[in-house]
Amino acid sequence: MSSTLTSHIRTEPTWIRIILTMLALLFLIGFLFMPLLLVFSQALDKGLAAYFKALLEPNALAAIRLTLLTAAIAVPANLLFGISAAWCIAKFEFPGKSLLLTLIDLPFSVSPVVSGLIYVLLFGAQGWFGPWLQEHDIKLIFAVPGIVLATVFITFPFVARELIPLMQAQGSEEEEAAIMLGASGWQTFWRVTLPNVRWGLLYGVVLCNARAMGEFGAVSVVSGHIRGLTNTIPLHVEILYNEYNSTAAFAVASLLALLALITLAAKSLLEWQLHRQAQSRAND
Amino acid sequence: MSIEIKQIEKSFGRFKALKSIDFAVESGELIALLGPSGCGKTTLLRIIAGLETPDKGCILFHGEDATDRHVRDRNVGFVFQHYALFRHMTVFENIAFGLRVRPRSQRPPEAALRRKVHDLLNLVQLDWLADRYPPQLSGGQRQRIALARALAIEPKVLLLDEPFGALDARVRKDLRRWLRRLHDELHVTSVFVTHDQEEALEVADRVVVLNEGRIEQIGTPESVYDHPASPFVYQFLGDVNLFHGRVHEGEAQIGDARIIWPEQSPQDSAVFYVRPHEIDITRTAESTAAIAACISDIRTLGATVRIELERSDGQGLVEAELARDQFSTLALTKGEVVYLQPRRLKLFSTVAETTGQ
Amino acid sequence: MFRNTRVLPGFAPTLGFTLLYLSLIVLIPLSATVVKSAGLGLEGFWQVITSPRVMASYRLTFGASLLAASINAVFGLLVAWVLVRYPFPGKRVVDALVDLPFALPTSVAGIALSSLYADQGWMGAGFAALGIKITYTPLGVVVALTFIGLPFVVRTLQPVLEDFEAELEEAAASLGASRWQTFWWVIFPTLLPGLLTGFALAFARAVGEYGSVIFIAGNIPMVSEITPLLIITRLEEYDYAGATALAVSMLVVSFSLLLIINGLQRWSQLSRL
Repeated sequence: MSSTLTSHIRTEPTWIRIILTMLALLFLIGFLFMPLLLVFSQALDKGLAAYFKALLEPNALAAIRLTLLTAAIAVPANLLFGISAAWCIAKFEFPGKSLLLTLIDLPFSVSPVVSGLIYVLLFGAQGWFGPWLQEHDIKLIFAVPGIVLATVFITFPFVARELIPLMQAQGSEEEEAAIMLGASGWQTFWRVTLPNVRWGLLYGVVLCNARAMGEFGAVSVVSGHIRGLTNTIPLHVEILYNEYNSTAAFAVASLLALLALITLAAKSLLEWQLHRQAQSRAND
Repeated sequence: MSIEIKQIEKSFGRFKALKSIDFAVESGELIALLGPSGCGKTTLLRIIAGLETPDKGCILFHGEDATDRHVRDRNVGFVFQHYALFRHMTVFENIAFGLRVRPRSQRPPEAALRRKVHDLLNLVQLDWLADRYPPQLSGGQRQRIALARALAIEPKVLLLDEPFGALDARVRKDLRRWLRRLHDELHVTSVFVTHDQEEALEVADRVVVLNEGRIEQIGTPESVYDHPASPFVYQFLGDVNLFHGRVHEGEAQIGDARIIWPEQSPQDSAVFYVRPHEIDITRTAESTAAIAACISDIRTLGATVRIELERSDGQGLVEAELARDQFSTLALTKGEVVYLQPRRLKLFSTVAETTGQ
Repeated sequence: MFRNTRVLPGFAPTLGFTLLYLSLIVLIPLSATVVKSAGLGLEGFWQVITSPRVMASYRLTFGASLLAASINAVFGLLVAWVLVRYPFPGKRVVDALVDLPFALPTSVAGIALSSLYADQGWMGAGFAALGIKITYTPLGVVVALTFIGLPFVVRTLQPVLEDFEAELEEAAASLGASRWQTFWWVIFPTLLPGLLTGFALAFARAVGEYGSVIFIAGNIPMVSEITPLLIITRLEEYDYAGATALAVSMLVVSFSLLLIINGLQRWSQLSRL
């Protein structure tokens, strides 16, 4: 039924198919494969020694550490939020639900620059809480907490928007059965709900993590670009590139490109798992 | 344990799903809630289970008000229409679930738990499936596992939502006999929901017929079938022919036919209900009670033969059902004109019933 | 079938946490921005968002986004069609790589595209020979925005094409339609809601994009300076009011687009039933 070409009626003459396939591939090569290839080729342009030197330089290492730290906070926070939002939205009926769904998606539609700016306006020197924070000697903006906040905002919907439709599609019968058999709310969640949504959950986490590690615009606004202190990997790439240190810039960028490739591979794998799961449900 | 349902009402938005439902289930009884889809039967079952809260009325378990008792504390076994088996757990773990989630103090030791699960698997005759996962089972097997899982917590009440709804016709028949035998063995007070009248009549001790959120009739399968309380019950429980006519001077008049009708009150337009298998077919008009009709179609359905006839007075089609033997003795053919004699007529609203002469 | 707040526990705490977290992270900061811009007064606000340099940045941002989304609509349809319908070696890898713009950090995309389309770059050299300059011109902005919007149209159309009933095409063919007529009268109308949704998603993403653009654009005021960059410039000049006003104007655009996209998605879901 789907993509199998059952009859000649449903397809075009061979020459048209070849031309269309070529055109599509050419477009993808120009916009996707070439940039990807270029990152690795430029990174290794001056040899392996230069490549590793760029990666092991103290400022690069500091950037890697900060990126890992940011993701380690933002991903679990949004995971917790995603699970909580999915539970109340998918398992219960209440007024204002569709508004809540729209609001959860909101951060996706906000420009990254604006996402950073809103925290500057709240916590920056001139912001609402600026004077109070200065009095108490707390620095959020141009410091690590600001970077974490902006990242949390940017990656806010990822887990929730994967889990909500999945849990809605699975319904509540298994949970009801568990409760009727005497399970408590926690037991029901851990033993029934969580195993059922594990692939979707992981999918959301993978996407959330990729974005958390790679965010540039929002973090750029709140970071202050202090080398070795408030530079994440994407910001470090920018600085190196603007200093015409192209090889080092691409070397560090290749780390992120690698992360992207791993993310894509994990994503394809999880999509396959989710598809299988949905099919076995549909076949019941 | 007995269940009393008192004046239950339930609405979803502006839709009234249940309107003052009132009946009782005896301890150890097997009751069928029968009705077309949307009649409120599943909602009623979910209210008894505690999965749904009634707007008005109460539920008594063994004489005690259980309306506000949480599902977890009702000690009710519930078998879902689509079974709701935990798909990531083996059959064994599914059945063990209710025992494993008990508070530590009440949890049976592992050996006792294993014994209990295997006993239940033996009870449903599926011990060999213990290590399979639900998606690997057939519909009938899942149904029995769901039942075993519900029984594991030793419920005082067993509730089944369309227990055979998702099964093939053959498996359905086997399973419902099996369920009846199982109930005779266990004697757990049970209520099941169905839209299939055959299923209800075959399995249940008593049948509650529901329509549009109201109870139409409660009774044993025989009494409900033989003495339907309303046109709805009559039509819902089997095929039916309608004859339009009138009651006049102690006679029921259908077309030219005259049937003795002792009921006094005359009616100018009456509708008589007749089941297809309660019609005799003869070659000659043996009395004034016969209605002439022409055979338009004959279909053999296993042991019975369905005959479609067109009334000679142009009053529409009649369906009659004969046993195979009877049919071959008569040797009826298509296009032939014969005479119909209803053995039993049912007339509603005047609450009168009579047998043809 | 029916949900009941009594049976499953945890409604109040999960909804409470969800609303609290949503308010703290998203709603309060966003409304603070809007409130702050009100301090500017309507006239001041209007002056900021209609100054010539800002207007030039709008023209570039929206113009380039529109162009990029249109390129993506055409080529996204083509790519989705080829991926669903035609077999070719390496298809699974290509299919997975379509999401690269989602997964690749924008600064990496920015420097890669900038080097690739530079006058001496692998691609740029060819265009330079034809007298077309890409980097540091508005054309460069279009290239970057096409890259980041690429997956949207493909990913919204793919499932529609996969679910498309073979019988509809066979019916059209049996009624005497040519292949092109079948596509134009039977297949394309089914794809239209998804195509528009993908287009709108790509456009919305492009309007707010920053990271991949700034490296290739050259950022020349009045020529190749996009609005998000202008916000940062204002911020670096400590012109908080100006930055806020620009941000609010962009928020209004984003939310309007969000509403349009929601409407489009509802339409495409309806038409798939």
